[in-house]
Amino acid sequence: MTAGEGREIPMPGKKKKLETDERLDLLGSRIMRANALSEAEAESVASSPFLYARLRARITSERVRHEEGESWLAMLKVFWRAIPAMALVAVCALALFWSVATTRLTTGGFVTEAIINSPDAGIERTVFTDNQSLTSDDVLATILNKDDGEVAR
Amino acid sequence: MADNSEPAGIQSDARSPFVEPSDVELVARVQAGEEESFEELFNRHRRRVAHIAGRFFRQREQVEEIVQESFTKAYFALSDFANQQENSFASWIARIAFNACYDELRRQKRRPESSLNEITEEDNAWLREQLLADTSRQDVESAAIARDLADKLLARLSPEDRLVLVMLDVEGMSVGEIAKSTRWSVSKVKVRAHRARASLRRVLSRFL
Repeated sequence: MTAGEGREIPMPGKKKKLETDERLDLLGSRIMRANALSEAEAESVASSPFLYARLRARITSERVRHEEGESWLAMLKVFWRAIPAMALVAVCALALFWSVATTRLTTGGFVTEAIINSPDAGIERTVFTDNQSLTSDDVLATILNKDDGEVAR
Repeated sequence: MADNSEPAGIQSDARSPFVEPSDVELVARVQAGEEESFEELFNRHRRRVAHIAGRFFRQREQVEEIVQESFTKAYFALSDFANQQENSFASWIARIAFNACYDELRRQKRRPESSLNEITEEDNAWLREQLLADTSRQDVESAAIARDLADKLLARLSPEDRLVLVMLDVEGMSVGEIAKSTRWSVSKVKVRAHRARASLRRVLSRFL
């Protein structure tokens, strides 16, 4: 039985790796510290003249930027709130337009399509395509004139 | 006799020229709209912020940029700051500074011009010498090589690894302090530290 029995004896390869890792860690932290600015250099940066003045200028410009951003945001909010109102107005306008159009078609007393489609109307189609300028009285007058002419012949 | 109805912090004649106002008082004044008190806060804490920035960056302009960035962020976030303890502003501004450094490291990593410089034979020799030596050389030439090499080697690490290694090795912060500062969990800091050391070892052994 050996003296070291019962205790974990590090294998030579493992021990060497541990040692290497330790050395690499030490070297790594030395390099990290080498990369840092010395206390005196940092102190000189901190006490450089006009540092506060430059900071104030930066704060002012940032504030302006914030305010501009906020005004855009406020405008967007107004537009966002206006969307339902505008949609409501559009729906109302559409409904009104539709109801007016329907009323005209049904209560106008003279349905042009009915005359145009009827083969016995005896009226030239071109006369009735312009339903805005012709009234029912005009049409009647035209028919009566035509009938009078035939009677006269 | 002073009016006892006033809070303790304000009662101690904060505006007297002989008694320096505490950070809590200065922050309260800035929050109340007294802009001049911010200059006093800046003068008190700018060295600490510059030292933190100096742990990550060596160029003067970069350090100044971090100082300005940190105090600008602090100025705009001051209204949300819970001004309760005497040293809380100091730790708050330190946290902002660490975050600003971390953001700058990430920006640098994204920049295409931050290409990795080659390690020279001289760098290699220095690394080998340092690895075998029990004590490090302290001469000017060695320091210059170390700085140059640090730039090249640390550029190969991720910003998270650099942040953790600087906090651990250079700032000498504990895992708990790092967790508080970064708002990571303690276990995340431990895992990050382990990974950061492993990746630095990998980077170093590649050149040995």
